[in-house]
Formats: sequence, structure tokens, C-alpha cells
Amino acid sequence: MPAPPPNREIIRNGFWAENPIFRHTLGICSTLAVTNVVANTLVMDAGLIFTMALSSLTVSLLRGVTPTRIRMMVQMLVIASYVIIVDIMIRAHLPDISEALGPYVGLIITNCIVMGRCEAFARSNPPLPSFVDGLATALGFSSVLLVIALVRETLGFGSVLGFRVMPAGFTPWTIMIMAPGAFFVLGLLVWAVRARFPQVFAAPGKR
Amino acid sequence: MKERIFSVVYMFFLTLVFTSVVSLVKHVNAEKIRLNEEVKLQAVVLDALGIKVRSGPLRNEAVTALFGERVRRSEGEGRAIYTGYDETGEEIVGYAFPAAGPGFWGPIQAMVGVDAGVTEVVGVSFPRHSETPGLGARMTEPQFRDQFRGLPLRKSGGDAVYFRLVAPGSADRPGELDAITGATMTSKAIERFLNRELDSFVAAAPRSRTGRE
Amino acid sequence: MNSIDPGTLFFAAIFTNNILLTNFLGLCPYIAISRDLRAASGLGVAVVFVMSCTAVLNHLIYYHVLLPYGLEHFRFIVFIIVIASFVQLVEMTVERYFPALYVVLGIFLPLITVNCAILGASLFMVIREYTVVQAAVYGAGSGIGWMMAISLVGAIREKLEKSGNLPRGLEGPAITLLITGMLSLAFIAFSGMIQIQ
Repeated sequence: MPAPPPNREIIRNGFWAENPIFRHTLGICSTLAVTNVVANTLVMDAGLIFTMALSSLTVSLLRGVTPTRIRMMVQMLVIASYVIIVDIMIRAHLPDISEALGPYVGLIITNCIVMGRCEAFARSNPPLPSFVDGLATALGFSSVLLVIALVRETLGFGSVLGFRVMPAGFTPWTIMIMAPGAFFVLGLLVWAVRARFPQVFAAPGKR
Repeated sequence: MKERIFSVVYMFFLTLVFTSVVSLVKHVNAEKIRLNEEVKLQAVVLDALGIKVRSGPLRNEAVTALFGERVRRSEGEGRAIYTGYDETGEEIVGYAFPAAGPGFWGPIQAMVGVDAGVTEVVGVSFPRHSETPGLGARMTEPQFRDQFRGLPLRKSGGDAVYFRLVAPGSADRPGELDAITGATMTSKAIERFLNRELDSFVAAAPRSRTGRE
Repeated sequence: MNSIDPGTLFFAAIFTNNILLTNFLGLCPYIAISRDLRAASGLGVAVVFVMSCTAVLNHLIYYHVLLPYGLEHFRFIVFIIVIASFVQLVEMTVERYFPALYVVLGIFLPLITVNCAILGASLFMVIREYTVVQAAVYGAGSGIGWMMAISLVGAIREKLEKSGNLPRGLEGPAITLLITGMLSLAFIAFSGMIQIQ
């Protein structure tokens, strides 16, 4: 088994070159829905980071014993368990946000990125690098969601984290709170990043 | 064959371990979750009765304290009734009762507050619903809810209902309130079940009209 | 308990509460596959089938097994196992009886399992407390809505790519997202129709 790359490189990769959103545009499914309010996004981000880091770590720890045939089921079990824990914790300690997040916390389970990293990295690498990989990818992912949320809440509600930031006469752009707003903001963001750094995120080709 | 057996046993064992951990976490947090539900209910009742709670840290404690001082819970006609008293604890300021009904996407739970004489609505809140965000979900916004404050519990001129939700901006007769923009079905659902619940509460509470237990 | 009649629910699931355009679910395979219209429709049909059946199955399991024994918090795991097993079943059937389709769909069939939309439909079904009939109708409607969205975007993308000339950086995910945004915007217009919210 080839030696894993140094941790620093893993972090940089997870954040930038392999950033799931800019590179693959994966994993946005369930998470985009909560990005209309920054507070909800931060909680969702925390859940994602917790789940990804620990799932990668656990899958890596188990990689020696897990039969190849059932590895996907095992990954799913691991991820689902951590997600349920996150769900319970949010419901216990942040009940209002839990209601706003609705089913989207549970949907972290089907988030392609979480399973994707387990499959691509964690199952063939030692625990510490896997943990770092999960953590870095989740952080990269979360930062993008945060940027989107900042735009959407500012323009859609005129506030950030509940504090008014737009001048009093500002008419909120309701479209930002609704679904199309998320697609537009993300689309423009992806366009901007890919246009500015074409060599990093090579043209999609035949994806 | 041996590999298969190992796979099954492994999977079984792993499932056991993980579900135990999850159950443990649930158990540890169960009390807190239950407490949250309770405080939420109390806050909703206070809001419907128009009793203001001091916001800021320790809000949960403030809610529970205020609820304990100023509200008495009783059962009537198969539903819970929350009687609100003033600071002295002597005079009734109003009643709050839970109302529920089918919304468009799922059940909607409401808490309605009426004054002591059961002559007008003091407030209404919608703690739980599954309506579309940006559309039906806007029922929780003050703009919609505040319309109900002071709504007389009187059926004007042969009407069978206390209020109607009409196209926003076109409300001109008494008892007509603005529906939620773009959310026709949710508005209709709210109109239907809220009127029905108000009916049943008013009909079943003749003694309350005098403001005395 | 709610009284939406199945017909209205069906149309609402397709138009005004489209699981992809309104609830953001099922985007992953969407972005990858929507360039090939034929594969997209094939996948769509499979998704409709899986979604309706698993919604009903999960409903029965939730209300007859999980709830009575106080195990609702395991619904995530149980639902996904049901979905995974069911997709496995579909995969075997397609491979046996429709080998041409199997070749076209390739990797996407097992990917249906992680299609957030399928799990999402079951989760929404629980939150909104649907009856069995409503769950079936909602599952079918959502699946069809998803298929519609994916086909529409696929068709537009195919045309766009043939005409070429997209500004740098826009090709691929970016343009797909923007198109989806406009489609989402368009679908909001359906909320004005009186029989659908």
C-alpha cells in the first residue's frame, strides 16, 4: 500500500484542489436547502465536519478487518450512526434550529461526499491521515456553504445571524430565500472560481 | 463459505456496537429533549396569551417560571386549556388552547389565545407545520399572525365563520383577513381548521364568558 | 393526519413542491447524467419506481414496527437498508430482463441508493404524517417530478453544448446550476394555480 501523502498536502487538497463543490459539484444535494440562514448553515457545517472526520477515522480503523464485499454497507452503517448522534445532539441542545433543519440533517447520510471520501481515501489509508482528509474536505465544503449562506441571508433577509446588516430602506430579495436563489448563487460562485482558476479545476470533460 | 459467515457475523456485531452507542447517546439526551419540548409549549402558551417573556440568557428559566406563576392547565372537552392569570394570580386574563388541523403538506399545530370573556382573540401562534418555506411557512411571521389580535369572536351577518382569509389587499369587510401571498391551499386549510376549533371552544365554554372559573 | 386528496398531492409533488427544484434533493446524479437524455429518462423511470415502492415500504415499517417499539430514531438506518435492498433487487431484475438498459445505466443504478431524493421522500413522508396512499402518491409524484426536472435540464444542456460558445468556466456544473435555478424559478409560477399550492 503506497504511503499516504503528508498531512499538509491532504489539508490543502481537501480544501481547494479536491474541494467537492468546485471540483466535482457533489454533495450539494441536501445541504443547499439550509443555506438561506447563516445560523442553520453553521450548525449543518458542524454536523458535516463531525460526521465526515469521524466516519473517515472509523472506516480507516476498520479497514483491516472489513471484508471487501460488505464495505459499502459498513460505511453506511458508520455514517448513519454518526449522523443519528448529530441529530440527537442538535435536537437536545439547539431545538429551534433542529426544527428549521428538518430532515436535512438525516440526509447527510446520503451525501455523496461523505461516502465518497470513505471509499476513495479512508478505506486504504491509516487513521490519522484519513481523519485529516475527512476533516479538510468537510471544512472546504463547509466554507463554500457558508459563503453561499452569507450571500443568501444578507440579500434575502437583510441580516446575518439575525443581526440586521443592510440599511433600513433595503427591500429584501425574497428570491434569495427560496430555491432558485441557492442555485443562482452557487452557479455564479462555481463559474467565478472555475473561470479564475481553470487549471486547478480542469474542464469537466466527459464526467 | 467461511468468508460469508464471517461477513454476516462481522456485520451483526458491528451493527450491535453502533446501535448501542446510538441508543446510549439517545438515552443520555432524552431528558433534555423532553425538557425542550416542555419549555417550547410553555413559551407558545405564554405568547398566545399575550404574556411577554423577558428575552436574553436564561430565557428558558424565565419561561418556566412565568408559566408556573401565571398559567393553570386544565382539561376540558378532551383538550387542554391553559388559563392565564395576571400578576396577582387572582384575575383571569385569558385562555389559550391548542388547535390542530390538516395543512396542505402536513398537520399544522396552533395555539390560540382568547380574552377572559371569550369575546376576542388575543393571539395565535403556529409552533408546528410542514408547509413550504417562503410560501405557506410564512404563517409564522408576525405580519400574518398579528392580524388575529383583537379579532372579535363574533359572526357577522349570517356568516358561519369568525374570519375569512382573502386575497391580500382585498380585505374590506369585518372578519376578512389577508391570506398568505401565493399560498392559497395553506391559507384555506388554516381558515378551515381555525374557524372550526374556535367554534368548538366557544361553544364548550359558556362559563368562561363571565371570566370566572 | 391531513386531508390532501391524492390527486392534488400528486400534482403538487411534481410541480409546486418538486423534490429537486424546491427541496434540492437528488442533485448529484442529476449533474452527472443530465447530459445524456436517454440515460436520464431511463434512470428517471427507475427512480420513480424505487421511490414509490420504498415510500410505501418505509411507511409500513415505520408505523408498524419502529413507532410501536419506540425505535423511531433508527429510521435513518432502517430506511436506507430498505432502499439499498430494493435497489439491489431492481438492479438484478434490469440486468436479467433489460440488458440493454443495464449497459446504459451502468454505475448509476447502485447510485440510486445514495440518491438523497429517495431517502428524502421517505423522511418527508414521516414528517408530514402521510397515510399509506398518500405516501405512494407522493413517492410516485416526486419521482416523476425528478425525472421531469432532469430531462428538462438535460435537453437544455444538450442544445447549449451543441451551439458551443459558453464563456470560460461556465461549462459543466456552473451552467447546469444556473439552468436549474431558472427552472426552479419557473416552477414557482405553478403555485398560482388554484388546485395546487
